[in-house]
Amino acid sequence: MNEEQAWVIRAQRGDQDAFTMLVETYQKPVYNLCYRMLGEPEAAEDAAQETFLRAFQHLARYDTGRSFATWLLSIAAHYCIDRLRRRKLNVFSIDEDEESDYELPDASALNPEHESVRREERDHLHRLLSSLEATDRAAIVLRYWHDYSEQEIADTLSLTVSAVKSRLHRARRALGSLWERSTPQPRAERKRYESPAF
Amino acid sequence: MNHRPFEDWLLDDKLLKPEEDRELQLHLQACRHCAALWEANLALRSAKSFAPAPGFTVRFQARLAAQRVRQRRSQVIGGLLLVLAGLGLVVWLTGPYLLEFFSSPAAWITTWVGALLGILEAMRALGEAGSVLFRVIPGLIPPFAWMVLISGSAGLGLLWSVSLWRFTRVTRGA
Repeated sequence: MNEEQAWVIRAQRGDQDAFTMLVETYQKPVYNLCYRMLGEPEAAEDAAQETFLRAFQHLARYDTGRSFATWLLSIAAHYCIDRLRRRKLNVFSIDEDEESDYELPDASALNPEHESVRREERDHLHRLLSSLEATDRAAIVLRYWHDYSEQEIADTLSLTVSAVKSRLHRARRALGSLWERSTPQPRAERKRYESPAF
Repeated sequence: MNHRPFEDWLLDDKLLKPEEDRELQLHLQACRHCAALWEANLALRSAKSFAPAPGFTVRFQARLAAQRVRQRRSQVIGGLLLVLAGLGLVVWLTGPYLLEFFSSPAAWITTWVGALLGILEAMRALGEAGSVLFRVIPGLIPPFAWMVLISGSAGLGLLWSVSLWRFTRVTRGA
């Protein structure tokens, strides 16, 4: 039995300190999944906290034969999917929200220009992700940020492996199309006898 | 080679052999669509992970404590409401009898004692009838009918036990 399993068993017996160790260990992957799903630090913090609360409340249902990380990320992914669907029902647009929360480059940063480029890249990536359907987005985040296999994604999102393959395929196609539209067109090739000045 | 296999490799995120990778790189220079797929894949792969602000665990503990207080409060309120509802129901159901009791206790006691005696008398009569039947019926039923009755009961009992076992069995991996 490894240290993590020992913490889980102790936490299942009601040891809150053991659960705190699990929170310490998994706060980053859970937060990252929530951030990539919801796109806002405050919403991600709230979702990550809620994930750990739900995990603590339903710890007795956790099957120790399964991976704890997969179980935890499954709670986080389902919670975020649910939130995104509710947002959609409330006619909430992430893009509109981003525009209203537009951040200026941090002047105190060591390299403000670099900071601005980094923020632009982050926003671009978020715009790409936010174009995807909630479950497709979760599959992409688990694949690229958590290095999950298709089987692990299927276990986490309660899908079949073939459904995960098809969702990843569809999501990559959508992301590629969006990337193509959002990046500038390459310069037209010069015709054989055309002057380089034109 | 045409466009299709390259697009499929990128969409399936296929692990490429060195010669396939070389072919793909050549194709990417000519095909903007596949180049976009490849760049989007690369952007996702190279994106960094985000970490929560320091003190996440402390904030979680505070949230857990607040939630416990909320749960305890709602349990207390729920319990109080349940007790009040139960008391209300008891008062509503017994109200007419209590009113009757307080208006004329002697008449009320006489009525209830009479009813109780009636019930006891009925029970005694039923018991006597049952014991007479118990003595008479076995003599009227032939032995083979007893055998059929007992076998039938045993069969039904077995069927019931098997059904219970089948329906309550936990299926692994379901």
